[in-house]
Amino acid sequence: MVRSALGAPRKIGEGPPSYAPYIPALTVVAASLMSALPIVSVSGWYPDFAFLVLISWRLHRADPFPAWWAAPLGLINDLFTGSPLGFSVASWCAAILALDLADRRTMWRDYWIEWVLAAVLIVIEQWFEWRVAAWSGADVPLVQMAPPLVIAILMFPVAAWLVSRIDRWRLAR
Amino acid sequence: MATARPGSSRKAQYGLFFGLIAVIAGIIVGLVLLAVSLVSPTSFERLRGGALDITGEIAGSLHAVTATASGLASGATDYWDAARQNGALKRERHRMLERMIEAKAILQENRQLKAALGLRDESKSAVAAGRIVGSSFSSPRRFAILSIGGADGLQIGMPVRSAEGLVGRVIDLGQHSSRVLLVSDRASIVPARLLRGGQPVIAQGRGDGTIDVRPLEVGRNPFKRGDIIITSGTGGLYPPLVPVAKVVKLDDDGAVAIPLADPATTSFAIAEPPFEPKAEEASAKADSAADPR
Repeated sequence: MVRSALGAPRKIGEGPPSYAPYIPALTVVAASLMSALPIVSVSGWYPDFAFLVLISWRLHRADPFPAWWAAPLGLINDLFTGSPLGFSVASWCAAILALDLADRRTMWRDYWIEWVLAAVLIVIEQWFEWRVAAWSGADVPLVQMAPPLVIAILMFPVAAWLVSRIDRWRLAR
Repeated sequence: MATARPGSSRKAQYGLFFGLIAVIAGIIVGLVLLAVSLVSPTSFERLRGGALDITGEIAGSLHAVTATASGLASGATDYWDAARQNGALKRERHRMLERMIEAKAILQENRQLKAALGLRDESKSAVAAGRIVGSSFSSPRRFAILSIGGADGLQIGMPVRSAEGLVGRVIDLGQHSSRVLLVSDRASIVPARLLRGGQPVIAQGRGDGTIDVRPLEVGRNPFKRGDIIITSGTGGLYPPLVPVAKVVKLDDDGAVAIPLADPATTSFAIAEPPFEPKAEEASAKADSAADPR
Protein backbone atom coordinates (compact mmCIF):
# COMPACT_ATOMS: atom_id res chain seq x y z
CA MET A 1 0.00 0.00 0.00
CA VAL A 2 2.63 2.44 1.04
CA ARG A 3 4.83 1.49 -1.87
CA SER A 4 2.11 1.98 -4.44
CA ALA A 5 1.58 5.45 -3.03
CA LEU A 6 5.24 6.19 -3.59
CA GLY A 7 5.05 4.89 -7.17
CA ALA A 8 3.87 6.72 -10.23
CA PRO A 9 1.87 9.81 -9.27
CA ARG A 10 -1.84 9.05 -9.74
CA LYS A 11 -3.84 11.83 -11.26
CA ILE A 12 -6.39 12.21 -8.50
CA GLY A 13 -9.51 14.19 -9.30
CA GLU A 14 -8.75 14.24 -13.00
CA GLY A 15 -11.21 12.78 -15.51
CA PRO A 16 -10.54 11.18 -18.85
CA PRO A 17 -9.11 13.48 -21.54
CA SER A 18 -11.37 16.20 -22.89
CA TYR A 19 -11.64 14.57 -26.31
CA ALA A 20 -12.96 11.31 -24.82
CA PRO A 21 -16.66 11.99 -25.65
CA TYR A 22 -15.83 12.28 -29.35
CA ILE A 23 -13.89 9.03 -29.67
CA PRO A 24 -16.93 6.77 -30.29
CA ALA A 25 -18.05 8.94 -33.23
CA LEU A 26 -14.49 9.14 -34.53
CA THR A 27 -14.14 5.35 -34.50
CA VAL A 28 -17.35 5.08 -36.54
CA VAL A 29 -15.90 7.52 -39.09
CA ALA A 30 -12.65 5.54 -39.11
CA ALA A 31 -14.64 2.38 -39.83
CA SER A 32 -16.38 4.18 -42.72
CA LEU A 33 -12.95 5.10 -44.06
CA MET A 34 -12.03 1.42 -44.20
CA SER A 35 -13.68 1.45 -47.62
CA ALA A 36 -10.56 3.34 -48.72
CA LEU A 37 -8.42 0.30 -48.00
CA PRO A 38 -6.72 -0.85 -51.20
CA ILE A 39 -8.59 -4.16 -51.23
CA VAL A 40 -10.66 -5.05 -54.25
CA SER A 41 -13.54 -7.25 -53.19
CA VAL A 42 -14.97 -9.23 -56.09
CA SER A 43 -17.77 -10.95 -54.18
CA GLY A 44 -18.74 -8.16 -51.77
CA TRP A 45 -18.76 -10.42 -48.72
CA TYR A 46 -17.14 -7.93 -46.38
CA PRO A 47 -19.39 -6.70 -43.55
CA ASP A 48 -20.47 -3.09 -43.27
CA PHE A 49 -17.74 -2.18 -40.78
CA ALA A 50 -19.10 1.21 -39.76
CA PHE A 51 -22.58 -0.15 -38.98
CA LEU A 52 -21.06 -2.90 -36.84
CA VAL A 53 -19.01 -0.35 -34.90
CA LEU A 54 -22.04 1.95 -34.51
CA ILE A 55 -24.33 -0.70 -33.02
CA SER A 56 -21.46 -2.09 -30.94
CA TRP A 57 -21.03 1.32 -29.30
CA ARG A 58 -24.75 1.75 -28.75
CA LEU A 59 -25.08 -1.74 -27.25
CA HIS A 60 -22.02 -1.21 -25.08
CA ARG A 61 -23.26 2.08 -23.65
CA ALA A 62 -26.54 3.94 -23.61
CA ASP A 63 -24.92 7.28 -24.45
CA PRO A 64 -21.79 6.88 -26.60
CA PHE A 65 -22.97 9.93 -28.57
CA PRO A 66 -26.23 11.90 -28.81
CA ALA A 67 -28.69 9.73 -30.73
CA TRP A 68 -29.14 12.21 -33.55
CA TRP A 69 -25.42 11.99 -34.42
CA ALA A 70 -26.37 8.80 -36.27
CA ALA A 71 -27.64 11.05 -39.09
CA PRO A 72 -24.38 12.92 -39.88
CA LEU A 73 -22.34 9.76 -39.26
CA GLY A 74 -24.56 7.91 -41.73
CA LEU A 75 -24.09 10.70 -44.26
CA ILE A 76 -20.31 10.38 -43.94
CA ASN A 77 -20.59 6.61 -44.40
CA ASP A 78 -22.72 7.02 -47.52
CA LEU A 79 -20.22 9.42 -49.01
CA PHE A 80 -17.24 7.18 -48.41
CA THR A 81 -18.75 3.80 -49.26
CA GLY A 82 -20.59 5.02 -52.35
CA SER A 83 -24.03 3.76 -51.37
CA PRO A 84 -26.96 5.95 -52.42
CA LEU A 85 -26.95 9.12 -50.32
CA GLY A 86 -29.40 8.84 -47.43
CA PHE A 87 -29.35 5.06 -47.10
CA SER A 88 -27.15 4.98 -44.00
CA VAL A 89 -28.72 8.18 -42.64
CA ALA A 90 -32.13 6.54 -42.51
CA SER A 91 -31.06 3.03 -41.51
CA TRP A 92 -28.63 4.15 -38.78
CA CYS A 93 -31.15 6.52 -37.19
CA ALA A 94 -33.72 3.73 -37.28
CA ALA A 95 -31.23 1.31 -35.68
CA ILE A 96 -30.46 3.76 -32.86
CA LEU A 97 -34.17 4.37 -32.30
CA ALA A 98 -34.81 0.61 -32.25
CA LEU A 99 -32.08 0.14 -29.64
CA ASP A 100 -33.53 2.97 -27.52
CA LEU A 101 -36.87 1.17 -27.57
CA ALA A 102 -35.18 -2.18 -26.87
CA ASP A 103 -33.53 -0.60 -23.81
CA ARG A 104 -36.99 0.07 -22.34
CA ARG A 105 -38.28 -3.42 -23.01
CA THR A 106 -35.47 -5.76 -22.06
CA MET A 107 -35.49 -6.86 -18.43
CA TRP A 108 -31.89 -7.97 -18.37
CA ARG A 109 -28.95 -7.95 -20.73
CA ASP A 110 -26.21 -10.41 -21.42
CA TYR A 111 -23.88 -11.14 -24.32
CA TRP A 112 -26.35 -13.48 -26.00
CA ILE A 113 -29.20 -10.97 -25.98
CA GLU A 114 -26.87 -8.28 -27.34
CA TRP A 115 -25.74 -10.60 -30.10
CA VAL A 116 -29.36 -11.46 -31.01
CA LEU A 117 -30.28 -7.75 -31.03
CA ALA A 118 -27.30 -6.99 -33.25
CA ALA A 119 -28.14 -9.91 -35.56
CA VAL A 120 -31.71 -8.70 -35.96
CA LEU A 121 -30.48 -5.18 -36.78
CA ILE A 122 -27.90 -6.50 -39.25
CA VAL A 123 -30.54 -8.62 -41.00
CA ILE A 124 -32.90 -5.65 -41.31
CA GLU A 125 -30.10 -3.33 -42.49
CA GLN A 126 -28.93 -5.81 -45.15
CA TRP A 127 -32.47 -6.43 -46.30
CA PHE A 128 -32.95 -2.67 -46.70
CA GLU A 129 -29.65 -2.41 -48.57
CA TRP A 130 -30.80 -5.21 -50.84
CA ARG A 131 -34.10 -3.43 -51.57
CA VAL A 132 -32.30 -0.12 -52.21
CA ALA A 133 -29.95 -1.86 -54.65
CA ALA A 134 -32.98 -3.36 -56.40
CA TRP A 135 -34.64 0.06 -56.66
CA SER A 136 -31.49 1.50 -58.18
CA GLY A 137 -31.41 -1.17 -60.87
CA ALA A 138 -29.38 -4.02 -59.35
CA ASP A 139 -31.96 -6.70 -58.52
CA VAL A 140 -29.75 -9.39 -57.00
CA PRO A 141 -31.36 -12.68 -55.85
CA LEU A 142 -31.88 -12.72 -52.09
CA VAL A 143 -29.93 -15.98 -51.66
CA GLN A 144 -26.82 -14.10 -52.69
CA MET A 145 -27.12 -11.88 -49.61
CA ALA A 146 -26.79 -14.86 -47.26
CA PRO A 147 -22.96 -15.21 -47.08
CA PRO A 148 -22.27 -11.53 -46.28
CA LEU A 149 -25.10 -11.64 -43.73
CA VAL A 150 -23.63 -14.63 -41.90
CA ILE A 151 -20.17 -13.08 -42.02
CA ALA A 152 -21.47 -9.78 -40.61
CA ILE A 153 -23.31 -11.53 -37.75
CA LEU A 154 -20.20 -13.57 -36.91
CA MET A 155 -18.08 -10.42 -37.06
CA PHE A 156 -20.25 -8.59 -34.49
CA PRO A 157 -18.54 -10.08 -31.38
CA VAL A 158 -15.18 -8.99 -32.80
CA ALA A 159 -16.45 -5.44 -33.30
CA ALA A 160 -18.02 -5.46 -29.83
CA TRP A 161 -14.77 -6.63 -28.25
CA LEU A 162 -12.77 -3.95 -30.10
CA VAL A 163 -15.24 -1.28 -29.02
CA SER A 164 -15.07 -2.37 -25.39
CA ARG A 165 -11.24 -2.17 -25.52
CA ILE A 166 -11.39 1.30 -27.08
CA ASP A 167 -13.88 2.35 -24.41
CA ARG A 168 -11.58 1.19 -21.63
CA TRP A 169 -8.69 3.02 -23.22
CA ARG A 170 -10.61 6.27 -23.72
CA LEU A 171 -11.90 6.36 -20.13
CA ALA A 172 -8.58 5.34 -18.59
CA ARG A 173 -6.86 8.04 -16.61
CA MET B 1 -31.26 1.87 -19.29
CA ALA B 2 -29.73 5.15 -18.25
CA THR B 3 -31.82 7.15 -20.66
CA ALA B 4 -35.06 5.25 -20.24
CA ARG B 5 -36.41 6.97 -17.11
CA PRO B 6 -34.66 10.21 -16.35
CA GLY B 7 -36.52 10.72 -13.08
CA SER B 8 -38.32 13.87 -12.10
CA SER B 9 -35.89 16.33 -13.71
CA ARG B 10 -37.88 18.36 -16.20
CA LYS B 11 -34.72 19.28 -18.11
CA ALA B 12 -33.68 15.66 -18.54
CA GLN B 13 -37.18 14.71 -19.69
CA TYR B 14 -37.18 17.45 -22.32
CA GLY B 15 -33.69 16.43 -23.46
CA LEU B 16 -34.85 12.87 -23.93
CA PHE B 17 -37.94 13.96 -25.81
CA PHE B 18 -36.05 16.24 -28.18
CA GLY B 19 -33.47 13.50 -28.76
CA LEU B 20 -36.28 11.21 -29.84
CA ILE B 21 -37.70 13.87 -32.17
CA ALA B 22 -34.21 14.47 -33.63
CA VAL B 23 -33.72 10.77 -34.40
CA ILE B 24 -37.12 10.51 -36.06
CA ALA B 25 -36.26 13.65 -38.06
CA GLY B 26 -32.98 11.95 -39.02
CA ILE B 27 -34.89 8.95 -40.37
CA ILE B 28 -37.19 11.20 -42.40
CA VAL B 29 -34.32 13.30 -43.77
CA GLY B 30 -32.46 10.10 -44.66
CA LEU B 31 -35.45 8.65 -46.49
CA VAL B 32 -35.96 11.91 -48.42
CA LEU B 33 -32.27 12.00 -49.41
CA LEU B 34 -32.48 8.36 -50.42
CA ALA B 35 -35.57 8.99 -52.54
CA VAL B 36 -33.88 11.93 -54.25
CA SER B 37 -30.70 9.99 -54.95
CA LEU B 38 -32.68 7.02 -56.29
CA VAL B 39 -34.91 9.13 -58.54
CA SER B 40 -32.13 11.33 -59.90
CA PRO B 41 -28.74 9.67 -59.33
CA THR B 42 -26.84 12.76 -60.50
CA SER B 43 -28.24 15.10 -57.83
CA PHE B 44 -25.34 14.94 -55.36
CA GLU B 45 -22.58 14.63 -57.95
CA ARG B 46 -20.31 17.32 -56.46
CA LEU B 47 -20.58 16.07 -52.89
CA ARG B 48 -19.97 12.45 -53.89
CA GLY B 49 -17.07 13.48 -56.10
CA GLY B 50 -15.41 15.36 -53.23
CA ALA B 51 -15.70 12.39 -50.87
CA LEU B 52 -14.46 10.11 -53.62
CA ASP B 53 -11.32 12.23 -53.94
CA ILE B 54 -10.55 11.67 -50.25
CA THR B 55 -11.21 7.91 -50.49
CA GLY B 56 -9.23 7.61 -53.71
CA GLU B 57 -6.30 9.54 -52.29
CA ILE B 58 -6.05 7.28 -49.22
CA ALA B 59 -6.58 4.10 -51.23
CA GLY B 60 -4.00 5.22 -53.79
CA SER B 61 -1.28 5.86 -51.25
CA LEU B 62 -2.02 2.62 -49.35
CA HIS B 63 -2.10 0.74 -52.65
CA ALA B 64 1.45 1.87 -53.35
CA VAL B 65 2.57 0.36 -50.04
CA THR B 66 0.84 -3.00 -50.57
CA ALA B 67 2.02 -3.14 -54.19
CA THR B 68 5.62 -2.70 -53.05
CA ALA B 69 5.26 -5.35 -50.35
CA SER B 70 3.59 -7.90 -52.63
CA GLY B 71 6.05 -7.01 -55.40
CA LEU B 72 8.96 -7.86 -53.08
CA ALA B 73 7.31 -11.16 -52.14
CA SER B 74 6.53 -12.23 -55.70
CA GLY B 75 9.95 -11.00 -56.84
CA ALA B 76 11.59 -13.32 -54.32
CA THR B 77 9.45 -16.26 -55.49
CA ASP B 78 10.41 -15.54 -59.09
CA TYR B 79 14.08 -15.92 -58.21
CA TRP B 80 13.31 -19.08 -56.29
CA ASP B 81 12.17 -21.10 -59.30
CA ALA B 82 13.84 -19.17 -62.07
CA ALA B 83 15.05 -22.24 -63.99
CA ARG B 84 11.62 -23.85 -64.29
CA GLN B 85 10.05 -20.52 -65.13
CA ASN B 86 12.67 -19.89 -67.79
CA GLY B 87 11.81 -23.15 -69.55
CA ALA B 88 8.09 -22.46 -69.37
CA LEU B 89 8.53 -18.94 -70.72
CA LYS B 90 10.65 -20.18 -73.66
CA ARG B 91 7.97 -22.69 -74.63
CA GLU B 92 5.33 -20.00 -74.30
CA ARG B 93 7.34 -17.63 -76.47
CA HIS B 94 7.51 -20.24 -79.21
CA ARG B 95 3.77 -20.68 -79.16
CA MET B 96 3.21 -16.93 -79.11
CA LEU B 97 5.44 -16.43 -82.15
CA GLU B 98 3.40 -18.93 -84.09
CA ARG B 99 0.19 -17.24 -83.04
CA MET B 100 1.62 -13.82 -83.91
CA ILE B 101 2.37 -14.85 -87.46
CA GLU B 102 -1.16 -16.19 -87.76
CA ALA B 103 -2.56 -12.96 -86.36
CA LYS B 104 -0.49 -10.85 -88.74
CA ALA B 105 -1.90 -12.76 -91.67
CA ILE B 106 -5.43 -12.27 -90.38
CA LEU B 107 -4.78 -8.58 -89.79
CA GLN B 108 -3.58 -8.13 -93.35
CA GLU B 109 -6.57 -9.94 -94.73
CA ASN B 110 -8.84 -7.89 -92.53
CA ARG B 111 -7.30 -4.66 -93.77
CA GLN B 112 -7.80 -5.68 -97.36
CA LEU B 113 -11.40 -6.64 -96.76
CA LYS B 114 -12.11 -3.41 -94.95
CA ALA B 115 -10.50 -1.39 -97.72
CA ALA B 116 -12.68 -3.26 -100.16
CA LEU B 117 -15.77 -2.38 -98.15
CA GLY B 118 -14.71 1.24 -97.80
CA LEU B 119 -14.96 1.10 -94.00
CA ARG B 120 -13.16 3.65 -91.96
CA ASP B 121 -11.89 2.79 -88.51
CA GLU B 122 -12.22 5.72 -86.19
CA SER B 123 -9.24 5.22 -83.98
CA LYS B 124 -10.08 6.24 -80.43
CA SER B 125 -7.28 7.36 -78.24
CA ALA B 126 -7.42 6.62 -74.55
CA VAL B 127 -8.40 9.56 -72.36
CA ALA B 128 -6.26 8.55 -69.41
CA ALA B 129 -4.74 5.54 -67.71
CA GLY B 130 -4.97 4.83 -63.99
CA ARG B 131 -4.87 2.14 -61.37
CA ILE B 132 -7.75 0.34 -59.70
CA VAL B 133 -7.12 1.13 -56.04
CA GLY B 134 -10.19 -0.03 -54.17
CA SER B 135 -13.74 -1.31 -54.36
CA SER B 136 -17.08 -1.44 -52.63
CA PHE B 137 -16.92 -3.95 -49.80
CA SER B 138 -20.25 -4.69 -48.37
CA SER B 139 -23.08 -3.99 -50.74
CA PRO B 140 -24.84 -5.98 -53.43
CA ARG B 141 -23.42 -3.41 -55.83
CA ARG B 142 -19.99 -3.89 -57.42
CA PHE B 143 -17.95 -0.70 -57.75
CA ALA B 144 -14.23 -0.07 -58.07
CA ILE B 145 -12.26 3.09 -57.38
CA LEU B 146 -10.02 4.25 -60.18
CA SER B 147 -7.10 6.59 -59.53
CA ILE B 148 -7.95 9.05 -62.32
CA GLY B 149 -10.71 11.65 -62.38
CA GLY B 150 -12.12 14.77 -63.93
CA ALA B 151 -8.74 16.53 -63.90
CA ASP B 152 -7.45 13.82 -66.26
CA GLY B 153 -10.30 14.41 -68.70
CA LEU B 154 -12.67 11.69 -67.51
CA GLN B 155 -16.40 12.09 -67.82
CA ILE B 156 -19.28 10.14 -66.37
CA GLY B 157 -20.28 7.27 -68.64
CA MET B 158 -16.89 6.62 -70.20
CA PRO B 159 -16.04 2.94 -70.70
CA VAL B 160 -13.03 1.64 -68.78
CA ARG B 161 -10.94 -1.28 -69.97
CA SER B 162 -7.68 -2.96 -69.12
CA ALA B 163 -5.26 -5.02 -71.17
CA GLU B 164 -7.22 -8.16 -70.26
CA GLY B 165 -10.68 -6.91 -71.09
CA LEU B 166 -13.59 -4.66 -70.26
CA VAL B 167 -13.69 -3.36 -66.67
CA GLY B 168 -16.86 -1.24 -66.63
CA ARG B 169 -17.91 2.38 -66.95
CA VAL B 170 -17.46 5.56 -64.91
CA ILE B 171 -20.45 6.47 -62.72
CA ASP B 172 -19.05 8.90 -60.10
CA LEU B 173 -16.41 11.47 -60.77
CA GLY B 174 -14.03 13.29 -58.45
CA GLN B 175 -11.13 15.52 -59.43
CA HIS B 176 -8.48 12.84 -59.03
CA SER B 177 -10.44 9.60 -58.69
CA SER B 178 -13.56 8.07 -60.08
CA ARG B 179 -15.95 5.26 -59.25
CA VAL B 180 -16.41 2.57 -61.87
CA LEU B 181 -19.50 0.38 -62.22
CA LEU B 182 -17.94 -3.04 -62.84
CA VAL B 183 -19.28 -5.35 -65.53
CA SER B 184 -20.13 -7.80 -62.73
CA ASP B 185 -22.64 -5.35 -61.17
CA ARG B 186 -26.28 -6.29 -61.58
CA ALA B 187 -27.05 -2.91 -63.15
CA SER B 188 -24.37 -3.30 -65.83
CA ILE B 189 -25.64 -4.61 -69.15
CA VAL B 190 -23.14 -5.03 -71.97
CA PRO B 191 -24.24 -5.77 -75.53
CA ALA B 192 -21.86 -8.51 -76.59
CA ARG B 193 -21.36 -11.45 -78.87
CA LEU B 194 -19.76 -14.84 -78.85
CA LEU B 195 -16.24 -14.82 -80.24
CA ARG B 196 -16.95 -18.26 -81.74
CA GLY B 197 -19.70 -17.78 -84.30
CA GLY B 198 -20.48 -14.16 -83.48
CA GLN B 199 -23.96 -14.76 -82.09
CA PRO B 200 -25.27 -11.64 -80.31
CA VAL B 201 -25.64 -12.04 -76.54
CA ILE B 202 -26.38 -9.85 -73.54
CA ALA B 203 -23.91 -9.84 -70.64
CA GLN B 204 -25.43 -8.74 -67.33
CA GLY B 205 -23.58 -8.82 -64.03
CA ARG B 206 -24.76 -11.05 -61.21
CA GLY B 207 -23.48 -8.95 -58.33
CA ASP B 208 -21.13 -11.63 -56.98
CA GLY B 209 -18.20 -11.17 -59.32
CA THR B 210 -19.64 -13.24 -62.16
CA ILE B 211 -21.63 -12.37 -65.28
CA ASP B 212 -24.83 -13.81 -66.67
CA VAL B 213 -24.77 -14.23 -70.47
CA ARG B 214 -27.93 -14.89 -72.48
CA PRO B 215 -28.41 -15.17 -76.23
CA LEU B 216 -30.41 -12.34 -77.78
CA GLU B 217 -32.45 -14.76 -79.85
CA VAL B 218 -34.36 -17.46 -78.06
CA GLY B 219 -33.33 -20.90 -79.13
CA ARG B 220 -30.78 -23.54 -78.41
CA ASN B 221 -28.24 -22.64 -75.75
CA PRO B 222 -25.26 -21.53 -77.86
CA PHE B 223 -22.66 -21.52 -75.10
CA LYS B 224 -19.90 -23.97 -74.37
CA ARG B 225 -17.54 -23.94 -71.43
CA GLY B 226 -14.50 -21.82 -72.20
CA ASP B 227 -16.29 -19.60 -74.73
CA ILE B 228 -15.04 -16.02 -74.87
CA ILE B 229 -17.57 -13.18 -74.88
CA ILE B 230 -16.56 -9.93 -76.58
CA THR B 231 -18.33 -6.59 -76.86
CA SER B 232 -20.36 -6.01 -80.00
CA GLY B 233 -20.31 -2.21 -80.04
CA THR B 234 -24.11 -2.12 -80.23
CA GLY B 235 -25.62 0.84 -78.40
CA GLY B 236 -22.57 2.97 -78.98
CA LEU B 237 -21.14 3.06 -75.45
CA TYR B 238 -18.63 0.21 -75.35
CA PRO B 239 -16.16 -0.15 -78.22
CA PRO B 240 -16.48 -3.43 -80.16
CA LEU B 241 -14.09 -6.40 -79.97
CA VAL B 242 -13.10 -5.89 -76.32
CA PRO B 243 -12.98 -9.21 -74.44
CA VAL B 244 -15.55 -9.27 -71.62
CA ALA B 245 -15.79 -12.70 -70.02
CA LYS B 246 -15.17 -16.42 -70.25
CA VAL B 247 -17.98 -18.95 -69.86
CA VAL B 248 -17.49 -21.26 -66.88
CA LYS B 249 -20.90 -22.84 -66.30
CA LEU B 250 -23.99 -23.46 -68.41
CA ASP B 251 -27.55 -23.07 -67.14
CA ASP B 252 -31.01 -23.43 -68.68
CA ASP B 253 -31.03 -20.72 -71.30
CA GLY B 254 -27.67 -19.07 -70.88
CA ALA B 255 -24.43 -19.36 -69.02
CA VAL B 256 -22.39 -17.95 -66.16
CA ALA B 257 -19.12 -16.31 -67.10
CA ILE B 258 -16.28 -14.74 -65.18
CA PRO B 259 -14.92 -11.35 -66.24
CA LEU B 260 -11.58 -11.57 -68.02
CA ALA B 261 -10.40 -8.33 -66.43
CA ASP B 262 -10.34 -9.33 -62.77
CA PRO B 263 -10.44 -6.00 -60.92
CA ALA B 264 -8.53 -7.54 -58.01
CA THR B 265 -5.45 -8.22 -60.13
CA THR B 266 -5.81 -5.62 -62.87
CA SER B 267 -3.07 -3.08 -62.31
CA PHE B 268 -3.74 -0.52 -65.02
CA ALA B 269 -6.98 0.47 -66.63
CA ILE B 270 -7.65 3.03 -69.34
CA ALA B 271 -10.71 5.16 -69.88
CA GLU B 272 -11.87 5.75 -73.43
CA PRO B 273 -14.43 8.13 -74.88
CA PRO B 274 -17.78 6.47 -75.60
CA PHE B 275 -17.50 4.50 -78.83
CA GLU B 276 -20.14 6.39 -80.81
CA PRO B 277 -21.55 9.23 -78.72
CA LYS B 278 -23.91 10.24 -81.51
CA ALA B 279 -25.52 6.82 -81.67
CA GLU B 280 -25.86 6.90 -77.90
CA GLU B 281 -27.54 10.31 -77.92
CA ALA B 282 -29.90 9.22 -80.66
CA SER B 283 -30.90 6.11 -78.74
CA ALA B 284 -31.36 8.15 -75.55
CA LYS B 285 -33.62 10.53 -77.45
CA ALA B 286 -35.59 7.63 -78.88
CA ASP B 287 -35.96 6.23 -75.37
CA SER B 288 -37.22 9.49 -73.91
CA ALA B 289 -39.60 9.94 -76.82
CA ALA B 290 -41.00 6.46 -76.31
CA ASP B 291 -41.24 6.82 -72.57
CA PRO B 292 -42.36 10.35 -71.63
CA ARG B 293 -41.51 10.27 -67.93
